[in-house]
Amino acid sequence: MSETPIIEIRDGRKEFHGAVANEDINFRLMPAEVHSLLGENGAGKSTMTKIMAGVHQLTAGKLLLDGEEIAFRSPADALSKGIAMVYQENSLVPTMSVAQNIYLGDEKLFNGLRKLNIAAQQFLQSLNFHVNPTLYVSELGAAQRQMVEIARAVHHKARVIIFDEPTATLTPEEKHHFFSLVRRLKKSGVAIIFISHALEEALSISDSITVLRDGRIVDSGPCAEFDRGRIVKAMIGRDLSDSAYADLASREIKQRPPGDRTLSVENISMGVAVRNASFSVFSGQVTGVFGLIGSGRTEMMKVVAGIYKRDLFHGGNVMLEGRPIRYRVPGPAVEDGIVYVTEDRKSEGFFDTMTIGQNIQVGDTVANRSMWNVIDYRSARDLADHWIKRLNIRAISSDAKVIELSGGNQQKVVIAKALTKTPKLVIFDEPTRGVDVGAIREIHEFIQQLADEGIAVVVVSSYLPEILTLSDRILVARQGQIVEEFEARDASEEKIIFAAVH
Amino acid sequence: MAAAQGPRRRFKASHENIVIAITVILFVGFSLFLNGFLTTGNLLTLLRSVSVLGILGVGMAVVVISRGIDLSLIATLAVGAGVAIVLSRPDGPLPGGLPFWQGALLGLVFVVIVTALTGAIIAYADLPAVFTTLAMGSVIYGVGRVLFLPAEANYLPESATWVFALGRGQLFGIPISIICFLVVLVLVHIVLRKTALGLFIYAMGDNPVAARSAGIPARPATVVIYVFAGLVAYFAGLLTAGAVNNINTRMFNSTLIYDVLLVVVVGGIGLSGGRGGMKNVLIGTLLIGTLLNGMIILNISYNEQSLIKGLILLLAILVDTILNPRDEQTSQQGDI
Repeated sequence: MSETPIIEIRDGRKEFHGAVANEDINFRLMPAEVHSLLGENGAGKSTMTKIMAGVHQLTAGKLLLDGEEIAFRSPADALSKGIAMVYQENSLVPTMSVAQNIYLGDEKLFNGLRKLNIAAQQFLQSLNFHVNPTLYVSELGAAQRQMVEIARAVHHKARVIIFDEPTATLTPEEKHHFFSLVRRLKKSGVAIIFISHALEEALSISDSITVLRDGRIVDSGPCAEFDRGRIVKAMIGRDLSDSAYADLASREIKQRPPGDRTLSVENISMGVAVRNASFSVFSGQVTGVFGLIGSGRTEMMKVVAGIYKRDLFHGGNVMLEGRPIRYRVPGPAVEDGIVYVTEDRKSEGFFDTMTIGQNIQVGDTVANRSMWNVIDYRSARDLADHWIKRLNIRAISSDAKVIELSGGNQQKVVIAKALTKTPKLVIFDEPTRGVDVGAIREIHEFIQQLADEGIAVVVVSSYLPEILTLSDRILVARQGQIVEEFEARDASEEKIIFAAVH
Repeated sequence: MAAAQGPRRRFKASHENIVIAITVILFVGFSLFLNGFLTTGNLLTLLRSVSVLGILGVGMAVVVISRGIDLSLIATLAVGAGVAIVLSRPDGPLPGGLPFWQGALLGLVFVVIVTALTGAIIAYADLPAVFTTLAMGSVIYGVGRVLFLPAEANYLPESATWVFALGRGQLFGIPISIICFLVVLVLVHIVLRKTALGLFIYAMGDNPVAARSAGIPARPATVVIYVFAGLVAYFAGLLTAGAVNNINTRMFNSTLIYDVLLVVVVGGIGLSGGRGGMKNVLIGTLLIGTLLNGMIILNISYNEQSLIKGLILLLAILVDTILNPRDEQTSQQGDI
């Protein structure tokens, strides 16, 4: 191994506002190598690759390109040096055509559309991608968008392509295509970093495997030395209780029986995101909703919670405890006992200039539905203390600002804010995204408690182990509809994924 | 984590302290080097002019905290007070004129209607506050001039004794207008800190999306905020009329609205919303009031004053953006 690695991180460390995302990272990527990065959600895979792609800069340590130290200022800078990243949520311009997207940033002075389309057509064919270059990206499905992104990376003469969970949205056939493409890219000398949750895929395609946990590299080596057991052991760690999902394989399914039909949704539609979705939610149960990105899972729930309005005509019906409901704004929904805990707590969840206590206070004040009430600060403090204790929010006091807390504690504040008044229906959208392992456990326990108390709970997640751990009933969303329903005891990862892919 | 926050907190406190320090330096400097600054007469003028500016600042501050802005305040001030005056003048459109309190009540009704309209457009039609209030300012001015105020200068009728008292009276040697300013300041402080509405205003300014999803009645609250700002401007209009004997609709074309913004931003209320309070209005008012008064005594021309104020406003907004960034890293999310 005297060859110089194409890209290398030495003693890398990355912090966000004092929270360590990566530390002690020593990573080498050889030319023409397929290197898989594995690890749980939140293990630090994305951050590490984003450092290499110029999205983030290292807090400490060195980044080396061809053996020379380098610091990328921006993703464009990294791209010009031949490092491209294909994101989970893609970065194409939806209002431009496929051809325009491929050549974006590389236009000639006289940029004839016809020439562009012909060039794109030839280029796409050479990659064996069946995408019409004149279509707008907004009209494409997930798999085709990904092809366009890959084509763009190849067009920019990328020497390193980083794929962030590329196969999550692909059908088996498309996956097959994808892997043959990866092999071809490799043959032409491109090095590939492959982030995945699918261990078998990683094992079948990689030359090397690196496993991350809690922001550190815990295992790394040639693929031949790995098997499923070794990877899982490395991902989960020595102590099995470290992982929120450790007991998944051996779990006893104690499935709660459905209670009353709290929510019944019939044929709701909203634009292109939700098309004729129908489902029911029962009290005293956790209903898991699994769907890939773009399946409309979040939009359906936001319609129920009054954050989005369903279509005026043929918009369908929503019934809460047998009573038809339609909300223009979320306020009345909250009043009726429907609360939605957002997947994006920073931009839609909490108030970052406010303290923990004030955030929780907002939830409580809203429940009273009057602007003119005088706030009783003593009971407000008691309320905050109650929730800090109940959810085990780790902060110095209720006067700490939410922005200073870790992701898990922020999430707990958002949950507390939503639940100050006991609701009939709680919708958790990705309740543990960007949350540390300890907090994941506590949040899961709390969700189970709510169901035990007889509340109807919905958990939307794109992470299968989470759905399987929490749910009594599992719904699968695809293309704006609920397409499949499982009892927890019948469900398996394979069955759910099979239903969820296009 | 607490350590990471420590310096920022200290710095934030010092932002206010810097403004106070500058005010003191200016005041002492003017007192020492400017003849006629430290006289009872001038200080009374300063306080009186400051009180109108400060009251307008209170109205603007509430709007800005909710992440809005109200550029129609001056139009509301001039036209609202003008309507009250014209309707109660013997030579006005109503023969004999109304008793002044009735005229004032009708002025109030006018202000509530137009500002509720402004608020409703912003809240329900979801238009940006900057453009809506800019346009509504012209609309209010135009409606006022066309329907009620053919003349520019509108003199207070003799019957408006309490308005004269507000504008010129003194209580224990303190101008009543300054007492009015302090009373408004304290009342609004209590509303902001102790009521649900106050909490909603901060929440809406901090994160409108989260406020809406949390179930805050954001749209009715927005209407209330703009009506409140209008009422405050109307009150400031009556004070002005009482102090100078008339209300001149040309005020609409003055740079007063920028002075009000200056008070709010220099005082430390971030334009990004959710931050600051009445304390910031007070220190902003004192600084800008002192500065304006000093410039007048120094006989700096109107154009040069505009230039200086413009530069200070620019600087204040710049500092505000640096101190209260909506930074990308904190809004980044997900798999770290």
